[in-house]
Amino acid sequence: MMCENQPGALIKMDLGSLTQTAHDPIHLLPCEIQYDGHAAVDKYFTPTICQGVSAKEVSFRGRPLKGQEIKIPAGYIGLVVEENHRPCSEEEGRTVCMKSTFLSFTQWNLETLPSADDCAMMSLMWPKISEAIHRPVDSEE
Amino acid sequence: MELEKFERNNWGSCRLSSLVPPLCRNQHCCLGIDEAGRGPVLGPMVYGICFCPLSNKQDLEELKVADSKTLSEAERERLFEKLDSLKEYLGWALQILSPNVISTSMQQRVKYNLNALSHDTAIALIQYALDSGVQLREVFVDTVGPAEKYQEKLKQRFPELEITVKPKADSLFPIVSAASICAKVARDRAVKSWKFLEDLGDVNLDYGSGYPNDPKTKEWLARNLDPVFGYPQFVRFSWSTAQTIVDSRAVPVRWDDCDGDEKSSSKGSQSMLSFFARKKDDTKHQPHRFFQERKLETVKDL
Repeated sequence: MMCENQPGALIKMDLGSLTQTAHDPIHLLPCEIQYDGHAAVDKYFTPTICQGVSAKEVSFRGRPLKGQEIKIPAGYIGLVVEENHRPCSEEEGRTVCMKSTFLSFTQWNLETLPSADDCAMMSLMWPKISEAIHRPVDSEE
Repeated sequence: MELEKFERNNWGSCRLSSLVPPLCRNQHCCLGIDEAGRGPVLGPMVYGICFCPLSNKQDLEELKVADSKTLSEAERERLFEKLDSLKEYLGWALQILSPNVISTSMQQRVKYNLNALSHDTAIALIQYALDSGVQLREVFVDTVGPAEKYQEKLKQRFPELEITVKPKADSLFPIVSAASICAKVARDRAVKSWKFLEDLGDVNLDYGSGYPNDPKTKEWLARNLDPVFGYPQFVRFSWSTAQTIVDSRAVPVRWDDCDGDEKSSSKGSQSMLSFFARKKDDTKHQPHRFFQERKLETVKDL
């Protein structure tokens, strides 16, 4: 990764930490929780998810959510990264560590059923399109 | 009363009912409706109906059923068992609305207020009695909201029935008192045996009556707040008591459907000069619409 503003200042990804990371369930909520840090997902959220007629159902802060499992495209992996310490100066290199990896996540919508028109679903089309448009052109075509 | 049926699904809505006495299918009947647990910030709200042949009204009066609020819990329990034993002529049905149903209904995009929810629940219970073959003639209802309007709504829905909506109907008509006892007993039992779906460990259960002005309830709400999730589903998030604590002490959460008003109001107060200002973003490279719609961005910095 290259920082646009400070050419040369690299951010390293410590892939060595990848092997030890667990597959944590990931939930994408239709709201912005203005907070970074631990959340008691296992206590409050996971046990209250139930299978409704057409989708998974849960509520968050008393609002109804409907969800579906979305798989990461084959050949890709989802990463949760964390920067353990921010550098003191701008010249100092930065390193992010793998906190967790995931191959699927649950996407939750407010009231409505998840569908192919949802942002998350649509954005996962990009790897396929990207591959197609970047493939070397065959001279015979 | 098989409350287990509700306990297995205490995030939803559940109907419990007695058998319909065969007598109620052959004789003209009256039906009373009342609710319990409308005010509390904790636990479910319960709607109850009781019905019996018009000819048995007198028997009910002799039971000395009264408004459930004037009775002690033990008296209510005793009276419920009594009512439940009158199987040859008295039937009952309950609709238990979990606090989660109340929270999520009231906080939908299109708000579904508590009065509308109450009215619809009452209507569904009357319909249940009719569908079960009860020969309904008279219906007595303890009012929710303005009595005349509610009566009009019910009459329109059930023109063939003689409907009386009155405040304090639970102390005026024994059949409504009976319904109020059934509802209140169910509500008390449901609160007492509440099974938290959440994995809260040793949660302190000393939450008092559940009414917002009860000091024990207030203290419980103040002490059991999770900064991210707020409360377990036992709490009605749509109650201002709970909302105030969540808004002031939990992590702020912004929903997509809530920022609309903010944006438009800030637009209204935009300075005149801003219309003549040089547009800053014009020269900046905008990604293709494909990426904008998908909120895809190239990572340039952390």
